[in-house]
Amino acid sequence: MTSATIRLDDVTKTFDGRVLAVDGVTLDIAAGEFFSLLGPSGCGKTTSLRMIAGFELPDSGRVHVAGRDITDLPVHKRDMGMVFQSYALFPHRTVAENVAFGLRMREVPKPDIERRVKAALAQVALTGLEERKPGQLSGGQQQRVALARALVVEPPVLLCDEPLGALDRKLRQQMQFELKELQKRLGVTLVFVTHDQEEALAMSDRIAVMNHGKVEQVGAPTEIYERPRTRFVADFIGEINILEEAGRARALRPEKIRLVPPAEARVAGTIETANFLGGSTLYRIRAADGRTLLTRETHAGERSPRAPGDPVGLAWSDSDAVALEA
Amino acid sequence: MISRRTLLGTSAVAAATLAAPSILHAQAKTLKITTWGGKWGEIMKATVLPAFEKEFKCTVSADQAFPYVPKLQASPKNDPLYDVLHTNSNEQWNCFTEGLVMQKITAKEAPNVADVYPWAVSDKIVGVAIFTSAIGLGFRTDKGLAKPTSWKDLADPKLAGARGSYIIPVNSLGQCHLMMLGKIYGKGLQDLDAAYKALEQLKPIKLVDFTGQMEKMLLSGEVSMGVIHDSGVYRYDGQNQPVDFASPSEGVMALEQVLNVTPGSKVKELAFGYIDYMLRPDTQKLLAEGVWYSPANKKVKLDAKYDAKLLTTEAKVATLIQPDWKWYNARKEDIDARVTKILKG
Amino acid sequence: MSAPLQTIRNKQPFDAGRAAYLTLNGLLLAFLLAPIAIVLAFALNPTPYISFPPVGVSLRWFEKFFRTPEFTNALLLSLWIAGCVLVLSIVIGGACALALARGNLPGRSFLTAFFMSPLMLPAILTGLALFQSYLLVGIGRPVWGLILAHTLVAVPYVIRTTLAVLHNFDRRIEEAAAVLGASPTRVFFEVTLPLIRPGVFAGGVFAFIVSFDQFPVSLFLVVPKGETLPVVLFNYMKFDLDGAIAAASMVSILLALSVVLVLERLIGLKAYVKL
Ligand SMILES: Nc1ncnc2c1ncn2[C@@H]1O[C@H](COP(=O)(O)OP(=O)(O)OP(=O)(O)O)[C@@H](O)[C@H]1O
Ligand SMILES: [Mg+2]
Repeated sequence: MTSATIRLDDVTKTFDGRVLAVDGVTLDIAAGEFFSLLGPSGCGKTTSLRMIAGFELPDSGRVHVAGRDITDLPVHKRDMGMVFQSYALFPHRTVAENVAFGLRMREVPKPDIERRVKAALAQVALTGLEERKPGQLSGGQQQRVALARALVVEPPVLLCDEPLGALDRKLRQQMQFELKELQKRLGVTLVFVTHDQEEALAMSDRIAVMNHGKVEQVGAPTEIYERPRTRFVADFIGEINILEEAGRARALRPEKIRLVPPAEARVAGTIETANFLGGSTLYRIRAADGRTLLTRETHAGERSPRAPGDPVGLAWSDSDAVALEA
Repeated sequence: MISRRTLLGTSAVAAATLAAPSILHAQAKTLKITTWGGKWGEIMKATVLPAFEKEFKCTVSADQAFPYVPKLQASPKNDPLYDVLHTNSNEQWNCFTEGLVMQKITAKEAPNVADVYPWAVSDKIVGVAIFTSAIGLGFRTDKGLAKPTSWKDLADPKLAGARGSYIIPVNSLGQCHLMMLGKIYGKGLQDLDAAYKALEQLKPIKLVDFTGQMEKMLLSGEVSMGVIHDSGVYRYDGQNQPVDFASPSEGVMALEQVLNVTPGSKVKELAFGYIDYMLRPDTQKLLAEGVWYSPANKKVKLDAKYDAKLLTTEAKVATLIQPDWKWYNARKEDIDARVTKILKG
Repeated sequence: MSAPLQTIRNKQPFDAGRAAYLTLNGLLLAFLLAPIAIVLAFALNPTPYISFPPVGVSLRWFEKFFRTPEFTNALLLSLWIAGCVLVLSIVIGGACALALARGNLPGRSFLTAFFMSPLMLPAILTGLALFQSYLLVGIGRPVWGLILAHTLVAVPYVIRTTLAVLHNFDRRIEEAAAVLGASPTRVFFEVTLPLIRPGVFAGGVFAFIVSFDQFPVSLFLVVPKGETLPVVLFNYMKFDLDGAIAAASMVSILLALSVVLVLERLIGLKAYVKL
């Protein structure tokens, strides 16, 4: 399968002349990359994706795919795949007809259509459900049909807008693996919209964190997690301690703080709450100077011996406290 | 679902129907008339109109769908919807006041008018009457009732709830009955106060709006005696129905069938020809015997059975009382309001 | 399979609420169907007047109905007109509804109200106004004029039902088709049309019945020998009030019912309920 680069070049989109949904976004997405747009509700993820798909025309800026400027190309000529949060399956058509739709539009010969629909449904483990209507499928099955429908045309680009959002947690995790695996196997460039940071961290090659229509940071999951550039990114991804030192904010992940005997401590304090999380425990510690700090301690097997009220010492290395942009 | 072919077919038929009337126009003159439905309409369509069309080399477009007068009113005066208007006398008067029909049809326009009884061209008639029915009392013969001799017999207390008349605002027979009440119980046809009082005394009474309904009420026995026109009873002659008609001694009210021509008609000669044709003795005989109407033409000789019952002599014709519709129509609204109140209570 | 299922099914305890609900439904149904039953009784009753209770069963009025050319011609004309009205109002009403729902027209709510207005105008006025305008223009009263008049009062029904479907329409479905390579025209025919069709046709069924039953609009617009069934029945009643009227009503009811059933079979009006 082919894949293509995507480039958003200083793209801006306003709705009704008032709502600035996307504000000067520039992104370079490599061919075959699993790329996530991550951010809170209303930050402009969907709007960005819809501009790539061609549903929205940017007010300014250009959209390139495979090096070609497609800003003014109508949707149906862009040759992309898309999976919607609501799946948007054709309710009046069977599963097989849904999947065959894109091939029909491309005037693929009938026997080829049959063969490819069969293969696509096998790929998402839906063999045998060809003649059902979408209304007769479970949410997970509908999701797979939507995926098969988008992928069967072998698009160089696959756009997914919170495709797993409607699934329960268990199914969602399973689909995360499957989708990731499928994307790698096919080599398609995948733009994935989500507001779930765990999902983005787990699946993506790279993530763009968005806020108020702007991209705050682009990077690999580890980079985003360990080296957040802004306070927003640091705060949005996982738990964080923000240390104000010499007028400069630094971000320190809870697991980078060690619990040590009070003598070796940089800061002393007492445990306020202890949240058992399975493989680890998250403590909230009231420091002697009045600050509240989070630390995470992993432990194998038995429960942590510490309890609220215990006095503890905290230590970390300066290199783990990442300086944030003002 | 709708194929292109059916759509094309539809428009082709639509185009054909669009073209059809103009072709007819090109072939022959068309006379536009109104006429009744029912048995009358059957005879007209089966016999009278085809013969007329043949003789006068024209096409007759006969409207049998009410309401004629509003349709005529709504159409342009210089190109009216009808050339000949056939209605009862009261509606002719309405049309005449609005200038929709002519005042009189005389022997000059339709020579057969010379042979009609005076009632057909009296001052109570605009246009010319071609038939009349007699409004009197219909009654059941199986209820031990004596044949009524007076309009007052309808007030017999035994008939409470079993006597019938019409909804006065919408039915001219009801209006005739009201005027008759004024004559019997008061100073004359126009004595409305006496009529209102007498109407009050007739309650409880069954009222119908269509004239034809009274026949059915009599036939089904829902009404034992009711105001009705003779033809509505005589048409069951020989069918073994226990109903009969009585002409009260005070006289019967005339229910005239009137023909008239619209001043704006483009085929006036043909229109007069049609009226003359309708007054011909053989046309008159055919229709009179078909629907039990009394003919206007004095020269008509009906078969004995009909001659015995219909108003075919000067003496019998003398029992006809013609209402003054011009007078009545002028105060119809007041009367309607008044009788509605009386009959509601 | 079914036997063990039945044995383990719990016995429903007597439920007073449910019994009351069923009784109420039964009564409502009886209330709605009673007039039809009465008409049927009159249609089958052999006496020439409406007698109650009926004295027997005979098909003479049905025979009279089908043997009288006035009735059968009027019936055919009414069917033909209603068929045309069905087609026309589906096309016009469907297009209007799409324009209203999708067109981004200025003053959309006003336009919606405007298109609905024939529903509010007394039909007799619509008929009279058209009658006068036809005469004024000098086209007389052609059949297509009558069809047009019926369409005018029928179109709002189609607009209404179609708008209802469009209102709940998930436009993502159309977008999905577009991404998959469907041009706007193909999106319309492959997705939009099939999905709004139940609404359009439900309106079409109303349109058919509105036309087939139409009396006030037709009153002024029918021509001699071109009278629709309701007009013929009305005029017939003034002279002969017998069971043929009841027979005609029964025939009309059955015909209207079969049209609904055929359309239901053809396009599945049930889908409308699902949407
Ligand atoms: N069609 C539209 N008309 C007007 N405003 C819109 C439209 N679409 C989006 N917006 C606004 O633009 C902003 C960005 O919306 P967008 O849908 O891109 O957010 P999002 O990041 O996808 O949010 P979510 O996670 O809730 O889906 C929001 O303020 C939204 O209200
Ligand atoms: Mg979104």
